[in-house]
Amino acid sequence: MLNYIRAEAYKLLCRPYTYITLAVMLALEGIFAEGFAFHNSHSSATPFGGAIVNIVGMGVIGFCMCMLTGDIVFAGQYKNSTLKNEVSFGLSRTRIYLGKLIAQTLLSLVYLVVMMAFFIGLCAICLPMEGPAGFYSSGDALFIVGYFLAAALPLWLGAQAAMCMCLFLTSGEMTSYFLYVGLVFVLETVVDVVGLLVGGGFGELLLNIRRHFPGFLMDATKSLVGDWGHMGKVWLVGAFWVAACTAIGLYGFHKKEIK
Amino acid sequence: MNANTAVMAAYGLKKAYGACLALDGVNMLVRRGDIYGLVGRNGAGKTTLMRLVTGQSEPTGGELELFGASGRDMRLQRRRTGVMIEIPSFSPFLTARENLEYYRLQRGIPGRQVVDEVLEQVDLKDTGKKKFKSFSLGMKQRLGLALALMNRPDLLILDEPINGLDPEGVVEFRQILRTLNQERQTTILMSSHILSELSSVATRYGFMEQGRILEEISAEALHDKCRTCLRLEVDDAARAAALLQTELGTDKFEVLPGNVVQLYDCLDDPKRASYALARNGVALLAMEQKGADLEAYFLNLIGGGRHA
Repeated sequence: MLNYIRAEAYKLLCRPYTYITLAVMLALEGIFAEGFAFHNSHSSATPFGGAIVNIVGMGVIGFCMCMLTGDIVFAGQYKNSTLKNEVSFGLSRTRIYLGKLIAQTLLSLVYLVVMMAFFIGLCAICLPMEGPAGFYSSGDALFIVGYFLAAALPLWLGAQAAMCMCLFLTSGEMTSYFLYVGLVFVLETVVDVVGLLVGGGFGELLLNIRRHFPGFLMDATKSLVGDWGHMGKVWLVGAFWVAACTAIGLYGFHKKEIK
Repeated sequence: MNANTAVMAAYGLKKAYGACLALDGVNMLVRRGDIYGLVGRNGAGKTTLMRLVTGQSEPTGGELELFGASGRDMRLQRRRTGVMIEIPSFSPFLTARENLEYYRLQRGIPGRQVVDEVLEQVDLKDTGKKKFKSFSLGMKQRLGLALALMNRPDLLILDEPINGLDPEGVVEFRQILRTLNQERQTTILMSSHILSELSSVATRYGFMEQGRILEEISAEALHDKCRTCLRLEVDDAARAAALLQTELGTDKFEVLPGNVVQLYDCLDDPKRASYALARNGVALLAMEQKGADLEAYFLNLIGGGRHA
């Protein structure tokens, strides 16, 4: 497994796509942080704490990043038919699947750390540490962001596992992106609407299921900062999504004909 | 492992895609040291067979053995193989060296110099920073072969390996195969539509048609069957044979039933044989030059003039 991950890391380091994606994300963060600084120089006085708490509202970007990291690691293996090189050498499909999932997860974590450090660092440099009343203090803001990241992480990992599953279950990258969007973004709304329409016990069951979707829990996290019961719940739900998606993806990949 | 040990064997191997039976009970045997040429038309099942051997798809019936292992145990034996099936596939945004280094790391093959060695072997060492997407078909084929050779395989599985190679590349490729087979005792299973190329390296053949192996035959046996000869139909075969020995001084002939003599000599001057027989009172009822190449033999075997 270590060899597999090492190889994936080598490929990631060789691909410009890896760096370009990160550069674009950092540039967007830079623009965002500079926006506060620019605003401060004219009318407002948003301090460091007031800027970084905005991270809490960007959980959905993490779900989108899962698609990007999945794509970077999977690297067009269907389009380029390169999976056959791995299978025909006798690498187990479990190793291939888990190797890709781990590589995607590691890349996501690297991106997360770099992007958070860059944004928080930039805000610390460009914005005043203390601001007028009504803004979060630096300490409070760091706690909120820290709590949010700790609660969002398992949901992002669950989404990453879902992306990996979609990539291995379908027979083309584009189909897998549609499936992922449907699973992570659309299905929750569908379950919610059907639950409300059906009503009764079954409707309640559907609404209860909806409450365990990553998107719903991510939204709920914003208003539950400091709730350690919620923290436990998101880690359990995240672990369930990772386990369920990995099990389904592995089963499907084992049955798959390599084209 | 002795020389006759089976490297790959199939027993009643079947593969169905829905109602379509791609392999219909294939029985075949590839022995250690063979250069096994798989001959068949498009859709005969050659690639399907290779895909089953390499684990890209699963059989729907029958049994497959690789180095004596079958079922789940076969997966580990695949590490002793080098494979190039259909068009070589690599990451388009990586160079030849980067692509091979990726697979070297993934497969846990020790020593970075292995990559340079195989690149040199297939004459791709000087491709520099050129990405795979910019390679010609011939270069892609060479890189595919380099990957197949990287783990010094005991069994090399090649599907249409000379597609896209220029004449010089074909000669080099043939030489690489011979060297591997003779110096490293690498067993080779290969298919090709260019039967003349196959016949220049293969030591054993399997003829496939409609998902079945019609015949397995050694190169020597095939050579004998295809050997060019003069077929002489005479009134007295025994006398004709004696005359060929005394008058022409040759013993390169066979006496067949029906007063037929097959003469493997005097092919460039058949008149010598006819005069010798006529002078000595043996009636020559018919004479024809016979013989076939691999292509003709295959077409004859499948019973038609369709393309291989």
